[in-house]
Amino acid sequence: MFCEKAIELIRELQRMSDGQLPAFNEDGLRQILQEMESLYEQNQSDVNEAKSDGRAELIPSIKLRHCCLLRNQRCVAAYLYDRLLRIRALRWEYGSVLPANVRFHMCAEEWFSQYKKSLASFMRSLGADGLDITQDMKPPKSLYIEVRCLKDHGEFEIDDGTVILLKKNSQHFLPRWKCEQLIRQGVLEHVMS
Amino acid sequence: MFVTDIRKEFYEVVANQRVALLVASDIDALCACKILQSLFHCDQVQYTLVPVTGWQDLGTAFLEHKEQFRYFVLINCGANVDLLEMLQPDDDSVFFICDTHRPVDVVNVYNDSQIKLLIKQDDDLGVPSYDDIFRDEDDEEGGDSGNESDEGSEPSGKRRRFDEGAVERRIERQRAKREWEARRREILFDYEQYEYHGTSAAMMFFELAWVLTKDTKDMLWWAVIGLTDQWVHDKITHMKYVTDIATMQRHVSRHNHRNEDEENSLSIDCMRISFEYDLRLSLYQHWSLYESICNSSYTSCNFKLWTLNGQKKLQEFLADMGLPLKQVRQKFHSMDMSIKENLREVIEESSNKYGMKDIRIQTFGVHFGYKNRFLANDMVHACAALLESAEKDDGDNFINALDSLSRSNLDRLHSGIDLAKRKLIAVQQTVASCICTNLILSQGPFLYCYLMEGTPDVKLFSKPMALTLLCKYLLRAFVHSTRNKRCKLLPLIMAAPRDVEKGTVIVVGIPPESETSDKKNFFGRAFEKAAESTSSRTLHDHFDTSIIELKTEDRSKFLDALITLLS
Repeated sequence: MFCEKAIELIRELQRMSDGQLPAFNEDGLRQILQEMESLYEQNQSDVNEAKSDGRAELIPSIKLRHCCLLRNQRCVAAYLYDRLLRIRALRWEYGSVLPANVRFHMCAEEWFSQYKKSLASFMRSLGADGLDITQDMKPPKSLYIEVRCLKDHGEFEIDDGTVILLKKNSQHFLPRWKCEQLIRQGVLEHVMS
Repeated sequence: MFVTDIRKEFYEVVANQRVALLVASDIDALCACKILQSLFHCDQVQYTLVPVTGWQDLGTAFLEHKEQFRYFVLINCGANVDLLEMLQPDDDSVFFICDTHRPVDVVNVYNDSQIKLLIKQDDDLGVPSYDDIFRDEDDEEGGDSGNESDEGSEPSGKRRRFDEGAVERRIERQRAKREWEARRREILFDYEQYEYHGTSAAMMFFELAWVLTKDTKDMLWWAVIGLTDQWVHDKITHMKYVTDIATMQRHVSRHNHRNEDEENSLSIDCMRISFEYDLRLSLYQHWSLYESICNSSYTSCNFKLWTLNGQKKLQEFLADMGLPLKQVRQKFHSMDMSIKENLREVIEESSNKYGMKDIRIQTFGVHFGYKNRFLANDMVHACAALLESAEKDDGDNFINALDSLSRSNLDRLHSGIDLAKRKLIAVQQTVASCICTNLILSQGPFLYCYLMEGTPDVKLFSKPMALTLLCKYLLRAFVHSTRNKRCKLLPLIMAAPRDVEKGTVIVVGIPPESETSDKKNFFGRAFEKAAESTSSRTLHDHFDTSIIELKTEDRSKFLDALITLLS
């Protein structure tokens, strides 16, 4: 059936709905493009035939193929756009350097680096020294938060040069911005009392 | 040295610094820690909190953190030992110690630079005066020996006359020195002989909060729990408990005063602390009344519930009060309102007839939300059960117990209450079996009981607080059940297996049970001496010196040494 491959691509993305990026399905995309090509060629020949021979009964099948072509186009565009949005979210989630396991699935490194550059130039243009808008995604309640260490992480340095030893089950009261990274990595846990 | 103005000398010093908090594993320390943490949150003082369970832990934690921190706050640990010698810190490390363990080591008292004690000085401390213990090096000794060498090399007629005078003076000085040293040893021995506890650390920190006018009801509640912990675990005398309750009562009425004028000013979710003259039945509001009576040590010992007679008396008691068995055996919340209304007075009247004069005790209760009412007692039992839960390791237990003290972690508190119920039942059953099978033996100067490995719930009793609780209940039960007048005045030593693979037992000693006991425990020193004399392999790791770990094989010779030592 036509357009099945396209639906498969969409389903693939839907399966991983929590923002993870599955591997780029080059094969699927190529198959869809091939399908589109063959449909287009068939349509071309049919249109020529219909025009020259005046065979009006070919028109419905031309219309059908045309609809399939449009549908394939929409599906592919949606697939690529959704991946783009997910890659953009990665920048906000992980910062400008992506960890290795995330980068594995991406093939559009170029777009990512361009996005990074434009975001960075925007941030630099705000205020006197620039403002890092990727921090504090939600308005913070306090400057310092209490965190609990879930696993041994060794030594950790904060802005004024002091070093903290992160040992399992120790609790610390640290500046919020330093802890966010480690909270995302799962080393620290925010304690709300 | 003792800190006189806790705000200036402690809080303002650490306010702009980073502090390491080393907290011992008992409820009072946890409460004190919570109070200090909220003060630090208020003022954004950066800190690191490390739980410690014994001296070794303290040493390790100090070594790990000494590079990064200059200020250390020790809660409920460190006062009763020479800290500087044990930890060997750098000269710029400062220790603030808030500890209930007494006697405070004399070096800690007289060190001016590095050790600051956050302890009230009017807590009858009895610290020996400086001159009695410390003495500067005698310059005259040096002069004398110089003279001596001169005399040795050139004895002449004239010098011989000076000789005799100098020799006499030297002999006199040496005799005085020996006398002084003997007196010093005696003074130190008297001072360090008995171990006891002082004012709760949580109350000290609450006072700090009050001086800073940053005290809240949460902090007040934690201070109350810290004080109640001292009473539940029998660390302070009844007089002291009553005095401290009066102090807390002043704070409670000050906090409640704001709401007296308007009727409905406070929302139901706000916290209300109230003074209660409530029953001495553990966890009775979260259990059924019957179970609570059976498993609280006061009632169970007075009725002697391990005997058939005792059971009958209990039934009589309930009948006397007019409480139907069906009501009494169901959950307290579901009892009829008509019964619950005057329950306390009814129980007090009837228990007077059965010889239980103090069934009611002064305490505090908290009330927040529609169904959350807790007495300070309940919180202490729940928290202690979480702190020593056998299922998880020490670090997790500490975190769980610390969390359960916050109002937002009610499910943890409820799980703690369940664990506490199981623990109380286990204690009761063990006490009953020990008394019925005569496991308590009189060894002369003390009573002794050993829990065999196969005893049910013995894992629960491999932890110090639980074992101490069992020990106290057992002694009380024994005193009520024995007819031997002499045995009633003896202290009790109890041993239970601690670690089966390593083959160690944990040994706990408690002072004799009496109405007016001053809770002073001499077993710390006794254990040390006995271990030395028999070279048994012991580990004096716990902050309470009367709790030690011992290798199972050395048990009998250790006991023999103790018997000879104490008789």
